[in-house]
Amino acid sequence: MIKTQVLVIGSGPGGYTAAFRAADLGKEVTLIERHESLGGVCLNVGCIPSKSLLHTAEVINETKHASQLGITFSKPKIDLEGVNKNKDSIVNKLTGGIQALAKARKVKVINGYAKFLSKNQVSLDGTDEVIEFEQCIISVGSRVTKFPMFPFEDKRVMDSTDALLLEDIPKRMLVVGGGIIGLEMATIYDALGSEITIVELGGQIIPAADKDIVMPLFKKAKKSYANVFLNTKVTSMNALKKGIKVEFEGKDAPKTDTFDKVLVAVGRTPNGNLIDADKAGVNINENGFIETNKQMKTNVENIFAIGDVVGQPMLAHKAVHEAKVAAEVICGQKSGFDVLTIPSVAYTDPEVAWTGKTEKELKEEGVKFEKGVFPWAASGRSLSIGRSEGVSKALFDSKSGKILGMGICGTNAGDLISEASLAIEMGCDMSDIALTIHAHPTLSETTAFAAEMAEGTITDLMPPRKRK
Amino acid sequence: MSTQKNVELPDIGDFDAVDIIEVLVKVGDTVNENDSIITLETDKATMEIPAPFAGKVSALSVKVGDKVAKGDLILTLESESDQEEESPEEKVESTQSDAKASKDTEPEDTPTQEKESEVQKEELSLNTDSSYHASPSIRKLARELGVNLSGVAGTGQKGRILEKDLKSFVKELVTNGNVAEEIEVIPLSRIKKLSGKHLSKSWNSIPHVTQFDEVNIDQLEKFRKHQKEKNIKLSPLVFIMKAVVQVLKRHPSFNASLDESGENLVLKKYFNLGIAVDTPNGLLVPVVKNVEKKSLIELSEELAEISLRAREGKLNANEMKGAGFTISSLGGIGGTQFTPIINAPEVAILGISRTQIKPIWNGSSFEPTAMIPLALSYDHRVIDGAEGARFMAELNEVLSNIMEMLL
Repeated sequence: MIKTQVLVIGSGPGGYTAAFRAADLGKEVTLIERHESLGGVCLNVGCIPSKSLLHTAEVINETKHASQLGITFSKPKIDLEGVNKNKDSIVNKLTGGIQALAKARKVKVINGYAKFLSKNQVSLDGTDEVIEFEQCIISVGSRVTKFPMFPFEDKRVMDSTDALLLEDIPKRMLVVGGGIIGLEMATIYDALGSEITIVELGGQIIPAADKDIVMPLFKKAKKSYANVFLNTKVTSMNALKKGIKVEFEGKDAPKTDTFDKVLVAVGRTPNGNLIDADKAGVNINENGFIETNKQMKTNVENIFAIGDVVGQPMLAHKAVHEAKVAAEVICGQKSGFDVLTIPSVAYTDPEVAWTGKTEKELKEEGVKFEKGVFPWAASGRSLSIGRSEGVSKALFDSKSGKILGMGICGTNAGDLISEASLAIEMGCDMSDIALTIHAHPTLSETTAFAAEMAEGTITDLMPPRKRK
Repeated sequence: MSTQKNVELPDIGDFDAVDIIEVLVKVGDTVNENDSIITLETDKATMEIPAPFAGKVSALSVKVGDKVAKGDLILTLESESDQEEESPEEKVESTQSDAKASKDTEPEDTPTQEKESEVQKEELSLNTDSSYHASPSIRKLARELGVNLSGVAGTGQKGRILEKDLKSFVKELVTNGNVAEEIEVIPLSRIKKLSGKHLSKSWNSIPHVTQFDEVNIDQLEKFRKHQKEKNIKLSPLVFIMKAVVQVLKRHPSFNASLDESGENLVLKKYFNLGIAVDTPNGLLVPVVKNVEKKSLIELSEELAEISLRAREGKLNANEMKGAGFTISSLGGIGGTQFTPIINAPEVAILGISRTQIKPIWNGSSFEPTAMIPLALSYDHRVIDGAEGARFMAELNEVLSNIMEMLL
């Protein structure tokens, strides 16, 4: 039997952060990972490999549009093996780095599948090994949601993990689900040469974001892709020899069409009910999430949970912050998860990012707000890089002028959004942002310009209203 | 079975070594959560440190005179509340050599599961509200100090809560006890809002002087008692009203008002007295007109009637106008003296407190005597000190020899 003070189950961004933080605060920590390499979905089959491929896509797209700049490249030759090798080397570098950091901190890493035996023990599935712990942090993440109506047994029907393997470049590809994951994969396969069709059940792509912020991406997708079907349902999917035959139900979609490959990206399911949590007395709600308080403590005093398995949004950066809270609380610190905002980013082309409240949330909540919208067509930098389709929108409290939320669509929106997140946490108002000098010419100026639009002090455009 | 839990000195602010001036418990004592266990003294304040949980003191690690800092062990508490929680765990430990054995422990776990079926609320104050202005680092500090930021006033730009605001809030808390006591905000009644404006204007614009005196009212009381036997009820107030009118006749500048220029005195040839009445909604001053023409009995009746209507809120505006001098009597409630505020544009007001039986020297012995305290506030721009003292002396004379009212 192995005894440990703190046991962390799952080594994704949340899990390894929790393990490292607890170790740094003096605990003896054991980290269990069921896969061979550390890092979880994010590093192995999520954020990192997808960003590597998105960069590949970006380079291809840049060369395609280079003719406007007076440079013409010949059609690129794509060596899939080389693309995958680059991707794998980045992943290996990062997962290897985590392994080294674990070693440096004397965190014991065990490869295996943990299942609870009681509130103080787990077993390693398929072995007789039992690990006894004082405190446990569950960070077992989530998995791709697989509806049984889709024939996943056929290799041509992929989930996001399969799609990231990039085994071939299908001629015609259907992406089921117009959310962040589906759109990012569409961006990659489109650049590599696939003809993309997207089908989304809701009335807009990326349903959580405001429509006006998604619009530039939607327009570009409509232009570049074969089809983007909104308000459309996939009613059946059959693997035939010539392809995957899909039946649709929607105003604009054909009744049926056949694709070489289909990517199903319709969401993720928490892994709460895969670890015998009931044997520890840990409650799992009907959606498979483990409920915690703001100190990440479950209903069982010595068991904590963080990341995708405790609720939406399922984002690595949320998990990392929750991880630190859990580790610190275990080590006696008065930590708590009290952030005001968790930003969301779609690394599409153009990128879409938002933080704080969206306009539709404010409307639903009946909050009185003012907005400043700056179209990137008026940004010198944006025009210089040949990308004028972007938009920055900042939302402010009508009474106090305090920033409530921001949405950005455009090149590097995911990097630009951090300023707004900091502004929200710091309680900045529109003049704080407008009066801060942003370097010229940068894309970051667009955030200040959005604040100036709300304030009425903008000079690069006609202000929507005059103020003193 | 029980568990030993260490009690360490919590974060008490920016202090490194604080003297223990008192140890309030000894080994074997049972303490409840929040009972004080030690007293500390810093250069700024003394503070008592409460027990974070209940238990029996099993070991004391400090004594008077020790210097302590955050995290130092103070004492060890034997806690009994953990008994039920601990025992199933122990059973698990004893059978855990084999994974299959856990099945046997399942029934033992059941009480634990029931007990822990709900996610417990955080044991600290989390500031997730964005209504106040505080950065993440300040929210962290607040969390560590257990402060709810909605009660902290920010002194930074646009009301931002700064580290020093948080520290002075905690210092205040440690020094003066819980400043975050529950409060309730209620609007003032309409009458209070109106009279408040008037009172503060009077108080701020009139140089007040208040002259005190005590009046022997043995004679008056004897007369009142005699009338009472005949079923005629007269309050001391009506006598005072009559006596005041008598003295006002001799000192017309007290029955007067300053005109708006502040340069002319308007003398009143009538004797109307404002009588301050306490009502459920606030202070009202109905006016009893032509007091000089009314008998004591008539005044008594009018006073009863007008006070009742004041309390019922049925006075009309005219009934509260036209006084030349005001009397405020708190005698029915208590107090030895008070300083009444002049009811501008009038120039003087008389305050009456509660009659007391006092030993008064009659030349050969102390005699129990009914003494009524009077306070005369006057406008020093109109009335000088000697005149104020004379008015009071003459009022005293008339009241103590009630036959003088007939003069």
